[in-house]
Amino acid sequence: MVGLPTRGGDWRLLGRTLRLVLAIPGYALFGAVVAALALSLFVFSQNLALVSFALQAPLAPGDRIDILLGLYPFLGTSFEPATGALLVVVALLVGADIALVAYHLREHDLRAAESGGSVVGVVLGVLGAGCAACGSAVLVGVLSLVGAGGLVTALPLEGLEFTLLAVLVLVLSMYWLAEGMRGGEVRGCPVDPP
Amino acid sequence: MDRRTFLATTAAGLGGGLAGCTGSGEDGTTAPGTTSPPGGGGLPDHAAVDGIQTQPYLGPPPGEAPGTIVAFEDPSCPTCAAFDFRVVPEITSNLVEPGRATFVLRGYPVIYPWGEPASHALEAVYEADAAAVWDLLAHYFDVQREYEGTDPAGVYDMTETFLAEETDLDATAVVDRARAGGVEDAVRTDLDAGKAAGAGRTTPHLFLFSDGEYLTKAAGSISYRVIESTLGV
Repeated sequence: MVGLPTRGGDWRLLGRTLRLVLAIPGYALFGAVVAALALSLFVFSQNLALVSFALQAPLAPGDRIDILLGLYPFLGTSFEPATGALLVVVALLVGADIALVAYHLREHDLRAAESGGSVVGVVLGVLGAGCAACGSAVLVGVLSLVGAGGLVTALPLEGLEFTLLAVLVLVLSMYWLAEGMRGGEVRGCPVDPP
Repeated sequence: MDRRTFLATTAAGLGGGLAGCTGSGEDGTTAPGTTSPPGGGGLPDHAAVDGIQTQPYLGPPPGEAPGTIVAFEDPSCPTCAAFDFRVVPEITSNLVEPGRATFVLRGYPVIYPWGEPASHALEAVYEADAAAVWDLLAHYFDVQREYEGTDPAGVYDMTETFLAEETDLDATAVVDRARAGGVEDAVRTDLDAGKAAGAGRTTPHLFLFSDGEYLTKAAGSISYRVIESTLGV
């Protein structure tokens, strides 16, 4: 049975585990690459035709890069600041989470309950990217498949709920991973907080 | 300068172009203060430009500038408001005013229910005064929250109040025409064009053309830099 991080000690365990794993340069780099890929997935999934155009059309290299970079929050899009910041946070959490999964895979046995949250977090991140109310989120396409595309306009935060849910799921996923590593060591340091 | 002031000023400055966008072709001259590069871009056979000659636009008449941006927008869409606030001013000053591109507006009410009567009102206003359509659109984007959940009758009442206070139009006559369904065909033309072009239920949905060719579409939170780099004009 999986638990929830309800005590201060649980959060300290999560923080310490993250710090220890991400202090290893290889895992930090891996996490950063995964975070960049996750953010790319979130923003590119909103505009596949444009991404395809940028990659295939006979453009100057500068224009090609401008189009692709221009789809990222703060570099170009007209995302609301809160939406853009949340997307970046989710991408960073995905990176940290997958780095933990990778470490756990290599060093310990990994249970489905511990890794499943990562996948759910990425999926929710994709669903929550963009403004669901205006249809610029993958979520709308998914719901449209079952004839419920209009449902998202009933959400008070216009679909940002899914991004927030992604944050929650990813934090829980990382906590479960840290919990699975309790009693162990990372590079000779005990995972359990002193 | 706020958004409404900016757009109103721009529309006034491009008065010649706007006055000529009624589809009559009577005043298709380039707006004062703008230069249209020789050899207009033309427009290809594409669903997004069906009926484009009867749409509000900024800059050279559709097909005469090297680049064309056809924007399907819903007055009730928050992302359209953000696009209008952050990106359209840059499009106007960097692409439209120098005559490098035409920005064409098409109503596409597919998000919240109040966007539909608002789109009818926009079409009715456009019939009466092409320049005033930008004022009304900016108004909708400015106060979207106030319109949320409003029924069609309420939307028309609020629109009439705005038009009476902020424009020289006969607000009652214009809104009555929208109420009576007098511009239903115009609204339907835009909706059909957007759906046929593949805009789905996403706004804003931009269709980009350059030198007579369709390039690609872009939806949602799109920046000015993306548009400029894609058009390459």
